[in-house]
Amino acid sequence: MAMDVVDYEIFGNEMQYVEVELDPGEAAIGEAGVMMYMQDGIQMDTIFGDGSQQQGGFFGKLMGAGKRLITGESLFTTVYHNEGSGKRRVAFAAPYPGKIVPVDLSTIGGTLICQKDSFLAAAKGVSLGIAFQKKIGVGLFGGEGFIMQKLDGDGLAFIHAGGTLMEKTLAPGETLRVDTGCVVAFQPSVDFDIQYAGKIKTALFGGEGLFFATLTGPGKIWLQSLPLSRMADRIVMASRAAGGGGKEGGSVLGGIGLGSLLGRDE
Amino acid sequence: MSDAPIPARFYPAGGAAHGHPARLAWQDGTLLVLPEDSPPQRVDIAALQVEARGFNHSQWALQWNDADGNQLLMVDDAHIAPLRDAAPALFAGGHQIRQRTHRRFGAGILFLIALPLLLLAGFFLSIDPLAERVVAHIPSGIERQIGAAVLARTRAEGRMIDSGPAWEAVQIVGKRLARPAESLEFHLVDKPDINAFAAPGGIVVVYAGLIDKSASAEELAGVLAHEIAHVELRHSLKQLVKSAGLRVIVAALLGDYGGLGGWAAQLGELKFSRDAEREADLRGLARLHEAHIDPSGMPRFFETLAKSEAGRMPALFSTHPATTERLDALQKAIAAGNRGPVEPIDVNWSAVRKGLSTSASETAPGRR
Repeated sequence: MAMDVVDYEIFGNEMQYVEVELDPGEAAIGEAGVMMYMQDGIQMDTIFGDGSQQQGGFFGKLMGAGKRLITGESLFTTVYHNEGSGKRRVAFAAPYPGKIVPVDLSTIGGTLICQKDSFLAAAKGVSLGIAFQKKIGVGLFGGEGFIMQKLDGDGLAFIHAGGTLMEKTLAPGETLRVDTGCVVAFQPSVDFDIQYAGKIKTALFGGEGLFFATLTGPGKIWLQSLPLSRMADRIVMASRAAGGGGKEGGSVLGGIGLGSLLGRDE
Repeated sequence: MSDAPIPARFYPAGGAAHGHPARLAWQDGTLLVLPEDSPPQRVDIAALQVEARGFNHSQWALQWNDADGNQLLMVDDAHIAPLRDAAPALFAGGHQIRQRTHRRFGAGILFLIALPLLLLAGFFLSIDPLAERVVAHIPSGIERQIGAAVLARTRAEGRMIDSGPAWEAVQIVGKRLARPAESLEFHLVDKPDINAFAAPGGIVVVYAGLIDKSASAEELAGVLAHEIAHVELRHSLKQLVKSAGLRVIVAALLGDYGGLGGWAAQLGELKFSRDAEREADLRGLARLHEAHIDPSGMPRFFETLAKSEAGRMPALFSTHPATTERLDALQKAIAAGNRGPVEPIDVNWSAVRKGLSTSASETAPGRR
């Protein structure tokens, strides 16, 4: 396979970026807009489609680009070639607080299903595709929508998600109930389904919604502790413009205001 | 059958959760399992249980029980073909489940796409009674205000004729047609178009071109009776409510595609007015009988109109039903209707038409 082996290093704690080392002639692909810096000798090339080698001809390229359009990704992928004589580095930064996780596709059977938007960068040769969630109920209530991303190949891929990323290996038949929206990625051997929360009282007041996502092994799964949408909700709730209790002024009353008496989230 | 080994993942009983890579081959009715880091095993076909699992049922789980317990193999659908060809019966159940999932997905997507369109269609079908209900709740004060606004716009667009024989003729004919309790206003616009319209609040506007084309006061009376019927039936108000409602619904269902909303509203107007025109024709005819005016003026004017609009748009696209079509319907209604005594309208029509051309040229510079 035409996979490039890349060395990498991840920097930062909660707002991470990954620095990828490319040997001469090697290349990496990055999601458009995530490149942070690159050294001399690295050539940036924007290609139509997803950079995988399998698709030949204009029509194949158009199909690849169409898939990316549906997943909500930009139509162009950027390829970073090392045209220099020595090792060169290029860095990709995560777009919001969270963790970057390297996944070696060769160790998990060559395919990873992940949340759309979670792809950050990969070795050249990894193909980016879409995987439609074909269970209607899961698509509607599973928190990930109908369209997920599929990474194929046997190189290294970097995925990113909010908060802390947990990697877990589910044994055959082992089931984990997950809050909807927290599923980041899983192997295709994992069964992704939904389960009704069970009690009306829990569904209404438990704060977890009507359904849980269930993941059944065997296979590896990755979960995020803080989906971006949840963080965005909290930020909007707390913002002054949205009528929240924003109080950076630090007034005397600020600390003992009605908001804090009522235990408002901030 | 054992040409290319099939890649799989082997989860031995009591083994690690992550499983081990393995290769599979089919040999003489047994499945040969070749794990990378443990001795090979042979599994009898009779002991195998097969089901579709994983994301979108894209994986096949091959299970069997032996002395160690439950053993599991996971194989991707992309590689399963040789095994399925060897033992199709084993895979039939799982295949059915896969098919069902795919079918349901297809049907679900279709439904999600069709839902807004269905709602829209339902709204289209029920818009007539809906608009009628809304219109019934609009007080006459608001109706009058809308009419005043329409009149103000007409005034701004073209010069009004507020005196002279033509204006008087319109008032006389209008008064004869109006019932005692009705408050109707008749206005004359100095424009060559052969047109007349009714606005909410009892306002009827006639264009000078129409008077010029009419051969007698009875013809004008026919047109006015038709427009008064529109007022009586509150047609323009219903049309307003409908097109506004359609725009809102289309915007709500399909997002802010302004053009689409306008298009749907126009389509609604089109259908609406074709029905409404026929209704107004018949009501107008009844009014002519009531006022003892010779009803033959109405179809006669349509004949003139039909001659002047020969070669125009087909009936389907025009807001008014094709005049010939209306003509037939009208003549049938006249033939069927009761013929009461007819009194001529007390207007010197040739003087009106002459006065119109002179008054238009005379008043042109001074007015408005």
